[in-house]
Amino acid sequence: MGVKYTWDELIVYRAAQEIRDGEIVVIGQGIPMAAGVLARKTHAPNSLIVTEAGMVGIDPFKVPLHIADTSCTRGYSYGCDMFDIFTTVVHRGYVDVAFLGVGQIDKYGNLNSSYIGDPNDYEMRLAGAGGAPEFAGYSQRTVYTLSGGEIVEKLDYFTTPGYVDGGNSRYEAGMPEGSGPSTLITTKGVFKFDRETKEMYLAGLHPGVSLEEVKAQVPWELKVAETLEITELPSEEEVAIIRDFSPELSVGRKLSIELITRRVLNVLSGRNTEA
Amino acid sequence: MEKFMERDKRMSGAEAIARFVNDGDSFVFANCLTGMPLGLVHDLIRSGKKGLFLFQQGGIEEVDLLISSGTIDRLAVAYNFRLGGKRVTPPLDRAMKEGRLQVEELTNFTLLAMMKAGAMGYPFLPVLGGMRVTDVIRKQGFLGDRCFAEVKDPFGGPDVLVVKGYRPDFALMHVQRADTAGNGQLWGAMINSKWAALAADRIILSAEEIVDTEVIMSAPHLTIAPAHKVCAVVPSPWGAHPSELAGFYDYDMVFRALYFAGVNDPDAMKAWMDEWIYGVSDRKGYLEHYLRKFGRERLEAIKARPLKSVPADYGFSFAPNWDERGYSENFDMTLDEFIRFMDERGILREG
Repeated sequence: MGVKYTWDELIVYRAAQEIRDGEIVVIGQGIPMAAGVLARKTHAPNSLIVTEAGMVGIDPFKVPLHIADTSCTRGYSYGCDMFDIFTTVVHRGYVDVAFLGVGQIDKYGNLNSSYIGDPNDYEMRLAGAGGAPEFAGYSQRTVYTLSGGEIVEKLDYFTTPGYVDGGNSRYEAGMPEGSGPSTLITTKGVFKFDRETKEMYLAGLHPGVSLEEVKAQVPWELKVAETLEITELPSEEEVAIIRDFSPELSVGRKLSIELITRRVLNVLSGRNTEA
Repeated sequence: MEKFMERDKRMSGAEAIARFVNDGDSFVFANCLTGMPLGLVHDLIRSGKKGLFLFQQGGIEEVDLLISSGTIDRLAVAYNFRLGGKRVTPPLDRAMKEGRLQVEELTNFTLLAMMKAGAMGYPFLPVLGGMRVTDVIRKQGFLGDRCFAEVKDPFGGPDVLVVKGYRPDFALMHVQRADTAGNGQLWGAMINSKWAALAADRIILSAEEIVDTEVIMSAPHLTIAPAHKVCAVVPSPWGAHPSELAGFYDYDMVFRALYFAGVNDPDAMKAWMDEWIYGVSDRKGYLEHYLRKFGRERLEAIKARPLKSVPADYGFSFAPNWDERGYSENFDMTLDEFIRFMDERGILREG
């Protein structure tokens, strides 16, 4: 019997396995940052974390609030700017892996992070494109993590290119040969993309999850690998690293908000259990 | 794109040149006039590499040395210092007249724009169109039509003069300090350094001082050569001598006068190079020879006095999620209480 873990900790652990030692990794915040830090503290100490705001080589001890948050790290090795990142780093082909969180994703790994519903009469305006389109477009590999988002047949709005219409369409559109989404990690399992058709298929399941549960979340006839991998579990040390770095991710969004709200109410009422 | 992720890339200049320079390569100096990587230039000359193509922003002695040694045979140049009038024939003139060197004339801005376009991975970059009336644009050198072009403004304006983007095979660069991984920090006149360094596919870096990565991380805005592009780190005190380097030393006027006294005479130039380049094996040997010949006082006389930049403060509270007692200020609970909370709420799964 190993250490107890949460679903979000499992996603962080699984995402960290996508980073190899010596790679240049673009990360925004949240779960991917925890994955990057876990990788650097375990199997990939020579990997380099790059943020969109122009901070290269950060060594964070907590999750940055946004892409330009330098309060999470005691300095960094190379300070440039966002334009430099997208040209001299991304466009020149230095990025091995970009991590992106998913709002909506389709079968070819394209993303929507702009609107839910018809953009002319939408239900919800999302945070927007940010850096996702160019990162997904020009990094060698893109790794997606999905905890609150959804898998759809057709995106409400095409924000970020994955494999576009499948086949070679991504490369015909001008993105680097051989690049593209490599993995989608959800709270149920792990998806990969077919070498030829570029269609997303199920490659693995998290422990205790059934195939039917996954299929229920996918609105098309999902292809499934001949042998499904069962996601390995993190060790006690790895779970400790995640909880130390990002307790708010470990506990999940809902309970994290509950804890912070409780804290705010305590502060407002002048109570403090510490005192 | 090849990248260099090793933590310790320290090596001698000779090893760096042997490993990372090939005959026929193109290269650029990621310094201009000030803080020139002259130690590396001497290493390159001693290596006997041939047929190199130099993008030269602007310089004082390095081009003549590289021509006289037969290291370069192509030169795209914006500015190169010349001493003397019509009656003398500096190495650059002589090599052109004898057909040993092909030249492409550029301006400071257009040459740098070629580097910037290359650094960004762009095929070309707009430059200032009024220059199309000059022979710099009209007359073609050895780069032919791979220099300038006119493109239609897709937004309906007048045609746009553009330069082609170039990515030299390597850059030679000297900096004040670097860590062993090659994060090179440079300050003073920045001239072409950023775009030349980032244009090149790899950077051979020499540094006055090797410092801990912690020092680098405390001043990230000073990193001009990011480690992932640096293939070799050459520790090199006095590595820019006889040019000047902010924070370390002035130019050495007396030494330069000695060099320029013979620069236009092939025999004197050969004698100078035999003594200062071929007669020593590295920058350490060059310095020892200098001390023997001129004494320590000459170097002491040009050593920098401090004009310290007030350090920028990058600080925050740096409070960890869990303090030394394992308590979280945000959640107002200890780590043990936090784990109990997750368990009670049923989100912990059996491992």
